[in-house]
Amino acid sequence: MTTLLQLLITGLLVGAVYALMSSGLTLIFGVMRVVNLAHGAFAVLAAYLTYTVWTWTGLDPLLSVPIIVAVMFGIGWLSYNLVVRHVRGSHISMTVLVTFGIALTIEGIAGFVWGNQSRTVRTSYTDTSVQIGPFFLPTATLLAAAIAVALLGALFFILNQTWTGRAVRASAVNESGALLVGVSVKSIAASAFALGIATLGAGGAIIAVMYPFIPGTHYQWIARLLAIVVLGGLGSLMGAVIGALSIGVAEQFATQYVGASWVEIVPFLVIIIILIVRPRGILGQKLREDATV
Amino acid sequence: MNTTNTHAKASTPRSVTVPDASKVPGWARTETVRRIVTVLLGIAAIVIALFPVVPNRSAQSTVIIALVVAVGAVGLNIITGYTGYLSIGHFAFIGVGAYFVAILAKAVPGVAPLVWVPVAGLVTALLAVLLGLVTYRSRGPSFVIISIAMLFLMRFVATEWHAVTNGTSGITLPMYSWPREWGNWPIHISLVVLLGLSLALSGWIRRTKFGLGLIAIREDEGKAGTVGVNSPVYKLLAFGASALLVGMAGGVYGYFMGFVDPVNMFSILLSVQLVLAVILGGRGTLFGPVLGAFIVVPLDIFANNTGGGGNTRLVMFGLLLIFLVVLLPKGVLPSLSHHLERIRTRGTVGLSGTRLGAADELSIRDRPEVPDPAELAERLEAAPPILEVKGLSKSFGGNQAVNDCTFTVPEGSITGLIGPNGSGKTTVFNLISGTLLPDAGTVRIGGTDISRMPSWGRAHRGLGRTFQSTRLFKEMSVLENIAAPLGSFSIPQLGLDAVSGREAERARELLDFVGLSRYEQAKAGSLSYGQQKLVELGQVLVLDPKLILLDEPAGGINPTLIERMGDLIRDLNAQGKSFLLVEHNMPFVLGLCNPVRVLAQGHIIAAGSPDEIQTDDAVIDAYLGDDYLLDSDNSATRRMAIEGSAS
Repeated sequence: MTTLLQLLITGLLVGAVYALMSSGLTLIFGVMRVVNLAHGAFAVLAAYLTYTVWTWTGLDPLLSVPIIVAVMFGIGWLSYNLVVRHVRGSHISMTVLVTFGIALTIEGIAGFVWGNQSRTVRTSYTDTSVQIGPFFLPTATLLAAAIAVALLGALFFILNQTWTGRAVRASAVNESGALLVGVSVKSIAASAFALGIATLGAGGAIIAVMYPFIPGTHYQWIARLLAIVVLGGLGSLMGAVIGALSIGVAEQFATQYVGASWVEIVPFLVIIIILIVRPRGILGQKLREDATV
Repeated sequence: MNTTNTHAKASTPRSVTVPDASKVPGWARTETVRRIVTVLLGIAAIVIALFPVVPNRSAQSTVIIALVVAVGAVGLNIITGYTGYLSIGHFAFIGVGAYFVAILAKAVPGVAPLVWVPVAGLVTALLAVLLGLVTYRSRGPSFVIISIAMLFLMRFVATEWHAVTNGTSGITLPMYSWPREWGNWPIHISLVVLLGLSLALSGWIRRTKFGLGLIAIREDEGKAGTVGVNSPVYKLLAFGASALLVGMAGGVYGYFMGFVDPVNMFSILLSVQLVLAVILGGRGTLFGPVLGAFIVVPLDIFANNTGGGGNTRLVMFGLLLIFLVVLLPKGVLPSLSHHLERIRTRGTVGLSGTRLGAADELSIRDRPEVPDPAELAERLEAAPPILEVKGLSKSFGGNQAVNDCTFTVPEGSITGLIGPNGSGKTTVFNLISGTLLPDAGTVRIGGTDISRMPSWGRAHRGLGRTFQSTRLFKEMSVLENIAAPLGSFSIPQLGLDAVSGREAERARELLDFVGLSRYEQAKAGSLSYGQQKLVELGQVLVLDPKLILLDEPAGGINPTLIERMGDLIRDLNAQGKSFLLVEHNMPFVLGLCNPVRVLAQGHIIAAGSPDEIQTDDAVIDAYLGDDYLLDSDNSATRRMAIEGSAS
């Protein structure tokens, strides 16, 4: 029983980090109908940036989150304006190709800059854990989950309580309607994309502490993040949170009872099964196809 | 152009489309271009086929890999170019073919590995059909996501299934079984043959009913269903066809490489090359993918050998993808032919927007004697209904769009379905035509319950529909649009020529009937809105439906076309077709339809002849709201109120 609970708690903690990382993916899809296949690559890029800041300054990676978030916001904004902007409104497969192109480019650049060997950020608390009751929780995971929950809260606040956030949501629901009531959908889309990448950046800084990474790690991440948003329902933020927690727990159980190598296949199975059984996911909207022109 | 002698135009209706030949530069004339292309293709074929005479081994392998990628890209083009489903994981089929041959070569020593190649193709095609099943429910972004998942899933299976695949260590294939001095020739020739077969298959598909159906699916899958295209079967066959020869090429590729392992056989970078080849050369074109393959592969090998290896390849392909999609999304071949077309038609007048000449006027027979409306209504209602809707309900989330809706369409009638905006008319249409499935209730056509049938099944049973905002297959010609619908489904029929024989004749007759003969070669997307409505009507008529659903046939078109639309409907009705139409233009509805059904809040609130409807209190209430006070019993005032509120 303790093992089960231990797995469940660890899964939820890891799931909180996944939720933070996938929130941007679902937000970007919601606002501009772009499936950002570069999401995993941006996460790995953020992890590398964290690594660099850490090696240069020795700053604790979790404390460098604000820096990474700011830098990733800029990178997201640039990527949107240089590339993604041109395929907004194109067929979904074109947006997938473009963002996949971004992912490959980032993977190659990361290979040039940081090399292709595995990197990790080792802190004083890397191998320690905290005992709470009968459970042993890795310190890094606990801290990571706390930061993730705080940032997710901030994201929800921005989306629900600020004008920009409402504009983002309005654009997601009805673009022409938003335009009519004075939302500059173009600049909102840029902000939404940058915001999505910035929150992901925080996630990237966190995973730098939790897992080793190479440039090619982004495939694993995009698979996991896609599985999460597909499970939760593309475009739904609450869905992404639920999906992330479920995947986090499922991975823990798969590691424990099926074998570690199966963890990497969990996301693909989830994607395929969900898309066959319930394509709109848990909380996704069923759109009226006939009403769109 | 439209004011000239109508007789001259009537005799040569398509003359307008032929540009003034004297203005076109000699090299750009159709025949010249065709000749140049044929010569170029011939040269390319000879050079590629005989390439191993070049003794340089590394050049030979470059061409061999380009051939593999070309076969892969031609296959991918069937799904992505024709059917519109992007697959980023298509290289997985090459990997499956390669693994299959490697495993059998190890298991059955003494047999030349190339013997297994055709079997590898079949196995791969079967696997692709299984994958196709996945698309049964999911469209849009789902498939592309699944395609990547599939590639990684295959890689996982190849890594974990040690007993068969030897895990990450991979399988080494035996040496070439032929004399040394033959070199790469057998490999090369096999791939050339496979490429030839792929092109033959791809070209054949494009010319058939099957190919036209695939393009209809690409353009508008929902609409394709309503004109009788059984899209799941089409897609399954397309997936199978797209993988068959790719699997074989994979078998040859594995033997050529001499070694198969999970990372190289299920390579995402090679998969990207397939996609790049298709997009660069031109999606949906026959030779584009081959051209693309012979550009992309040499680039890749150059970057790998002299450009710094893996990271250079990644950046190069990444940027290439971005630039292609942003700057040249159509690809090389379509852009070239588009450019050529512009040179050719420079200075000529476009067809769309030309006014209809007298020659295009309809030859409607004398209008039948119109019987007394009330009497007609009574007579029609007594006849057995062609369509029977009973207790139909549908909600979207919390919005009950259709609520226990019950009505009939008498056989031989033009029944009108009216109601305020948001009353659920279009949803009722979608439930009848099968674009949506009801939560409850039944729809019967000629006594058969069709409420759970897919849209193409309903089309095959004599139901045709048009859409509120027209949904033509925009990239197809007008004639192809009219030829695309299928009144029934059978596998052999798929192999028939897309536009030929009796059906082509019938399509031309119908184009004539709606008065758009001279637009037959124009792209449907280039027609005006009103013209598109007429083409859509023609498209529905090809199905020879018993009942035709028209969603706002008079919406958004000019008064002349409205009148013409009304004449067409009356004429078709006189020929025995029944109609159900949704319309907001009240004079049009009241003049044309009898009986009329009134829908409000998803429920039928009144039914009867136009006169009865206009004086029905419930109807007036529904149109004008609860606040409207009836200040007069004068039916004329009420009638005006209805007409005024609705138009």
